[in-house]
Amino acid sequence: MSRPRDVLDALHATIVGQAEVVEALVLTLIAGGHVLLEGAPGVAKTLACRVLAAAVGGVFRRVQFTPDLLPSDIVGTRIFDQRSGEFATVLGPLFANVVLADEINRAPAKVQSALLEGMQERRATIGLQTLDLPAPFLVLATMNPYDSDGTYPLPLAQLDRFLAKVVVAYPSLDEERAIVDRFGAGEPPLQTNAATLDDVLRWQRDARQVFVDAKLRDYAVDLVRATRGAELVAHGASPRAALALVALARARAYLEERPFAVPDDVRDLAPAVLRHRISYDDRIAIAGTDPEDVVRRIVASVRAP
Amino acid sequence: MARARRGVAVALVAAALALGAPAAAQGLRTLQVDAFGMHADRTHLRIGEVFHLAIHVHVHERVTALDELVVPNVGTMQLEGDERRVTGSPTGTDVVETLTLEPAAGGTYTFNAAYLDAIDARTGKPTRFSAEPVRVVVDSPVPSYPRPGTLSRFARETVVVGAGVVTVMIVGLALYRMRRRRATAPLSAAPPAAAPLVPPRTPRDEVADALRVYRSAPANGSLVRLRGALFAAAGAQPGATLRDALGVTRDLPLRTALGAAERTAFGPAYLRDASSVELIDATQAWLG
Repeated sequence: MSRPRDVLDALHATIVGQAEVVEALVLTLIAGGHVLLEGAPGVAKTLACRVLAAAVGGVFRRVQFTPDLLPSDIVGTRIFDQRSGEFATVLGPLFANVVLADEINRAPAKVQSALLEGMQERRATIGLQTLDLPAPFLVLATMNPYDSDGTYPLPLAQLDRFLAKVVVAYPSLDEERAIVDRFGAGEPPLQTNAATLDDVLRWQRDARQVFVDAKLRDYAVDLVRATRGAELVAHGASPRAALALVALARARAYLEERPFAVPDDVRDLAPAVLRHRISYDDRIAIAGTDPEDVVRRIVASVRAP
Repeated sequence: MARARRGVAVALVAAALALGAPAAAQGLRTLQVDAFGMHADRTHLRIGEVFHLAIHVHVHERVTALDELVVPNVGTMQLEGDERRVTGSPTGTDVVETLTLEPAAGGTYTFNAAYLDAIDARTGKPTRFSAEPVRVVVDSPVPSYPRPGTLSRFARETVVVGAGVVTVMIVGLALYRMRRRRATAPLSAAPPAAAPLVPPRTPRDEVADALRVYRSAPANGSLVRLRGALFAAAGAQPGATLRDALGVTRDLPLRTALGAAERTAFGPAYLRDASSVELIDATQAWLG
C-alpha cells in the first residue's frame, strides 16, 4: 500500500528543484482538485504533469489547447457507423485520470467552458448522453504568462474551479546545472506506478477525515475575507477559496502523516489558493506592483491563530 | 486545601499580545464589538479573601476564540484561576474570562482596562476596544489598639520615646555636618538611596505563570496563554506560526514544548489529553 510521499519522491526523482510545484501537485491529487501551473516555457510544467501521471498510473491524456480547438475535441463526439447504421460515441481526451491541458488560455472560451464544466461536475455530455468521468480525475492546466497575443484569458469564475495555482519559477543556478546534467543525454525514464488509482482514491477519502480545528477554519475564512477590499484588489476571493484552503491544509497534514492541520499548513498554502481568485484594479499596473506582493501582504496581514 | 502562595507579580498579558501596537492594522481581525465590560464581584475586601474579576465581550461575529482579548495585569495579586468561556448566540458570540484573585497586601488596586485590538467592522479602522478600569480596596489586618484606660500612659510614653529619638538624630546630624566642614576636599552629593531591586520579568516567568494557570484550569484560554508565552520565549513575533518559532530557537527542550503546545491547540479531541500532559511535562522540563 503506497503513501502519498511515494509519489512525491517519484516526482523529485525526475524534477530538479521546484519543491513548491511538486508538493502542490501531490496535495491537489490528495484533495481531489485541479491545479493551474503558470510559468515561462521550459520550466518543467509539462514534465511535472507527465511524471505525476506516470507515478499514479491510470490513463493520461494531453491536450494542446489552440485557437482552433473545438469542445468536441476534448469531450468527444458521436459519429455515424456505416456498418451498424447507428451513431457511436467516441470519448475525448477528457475521459482520463490525469488530463494535461497545455496552454489552456490559447483555446476559445467555449472549449475552456467544456473543460471547466467537466472539472466541476466530473461528468461530460456528448450529444444526449451524459457520462461520468473516471475517478480519480485530475486536470493539470498550464499557462504561459508572457505570450499573451492571441490568448483568451480565463474569467475569474472559471479560474475559481482550480483548487490551486502554482507559479513555476526559473530554477536556481545549481538547479539549472543539475538539469543539464540530468537531462543532457536525454530524458531519464519516468518512475511509474509509485501508487495505484485505488491508493489515490483511498488517500482522498482518508484526507477528508483529517481534523481541522475551528480556529484554523476561522483563519482560512479570515484570509479569504482579507482579500476583499484589500489595497489594489478589485474583486476578492469567493467562499470557495476558504473551502479550497481547508481542503489543501487537510491534504498537507495527510501528506505529512499528521492527523490534524496546523496554522503553517493554511498560511503556506494560502498564496496558491488565493492568487488566481483575485482580480486587481488598474492601479496595480500604474504602481508597478507585483500581484504576488499583494497576495503576500494580504496573507501577512492576517494573524495566525 | 491550601492554595499556593505566589509573591511575585503575575502578568497575564502574554508577551506575544502585549507587543502588538494598536495602530498596526497588520494581523487584526475585523470584529464588531457590541459590548465590552469588566467588573469585580467584590470591590471591598480583606487580605486573604478571594474575589473574581470578570471580563465580558460580545462580538457580532461567530468566533471560536478571541485571542485578541488582553486582560489587565493583576500585579501582586495571587492568581488562583483563569477561565475563558466562549459561547455562541443568535446575536454573535459571548466571551467571558473570569480571573480568580487573592490580594496579598492591603491597599487600593486599580485594574487597568481589559482591551482588544481589531478592525472595527463598523468603520473599517483599526480600533482598540476597552472596558472601564476596576478599583478594588483591600483592608490591611486590623491593628491592636491599647485599652482606653491605658491610653494616656501610652501617649506619654510615645511622646517621651519620640522626643528622645529626635534629639539623638539632631545631635548626630550636627556632628556629621561639623566633620564634613573640616574635610579639605569637597564631597560629592550622596547618591540617592537605591530603590529596592525588583528583578525584571523574563519570558521564563511568563511561561511559569501561564503553566501554573494552565495546570489549575486547562481551558482554552489558559492554553492560548501558555502557547503564546512559549512562542514569546522562543522569540517569535505575535501571529507567528510554529515554523516561525522553531526557526528562531535552537533550544531543544523549548522546541519540544512548542511542538506539544501545537498538538494540544490544534489536535483532535481524542489526542488532546495526551498532548496536554506532554505539554505540561515538556514545559516543566524547559523551566527546569
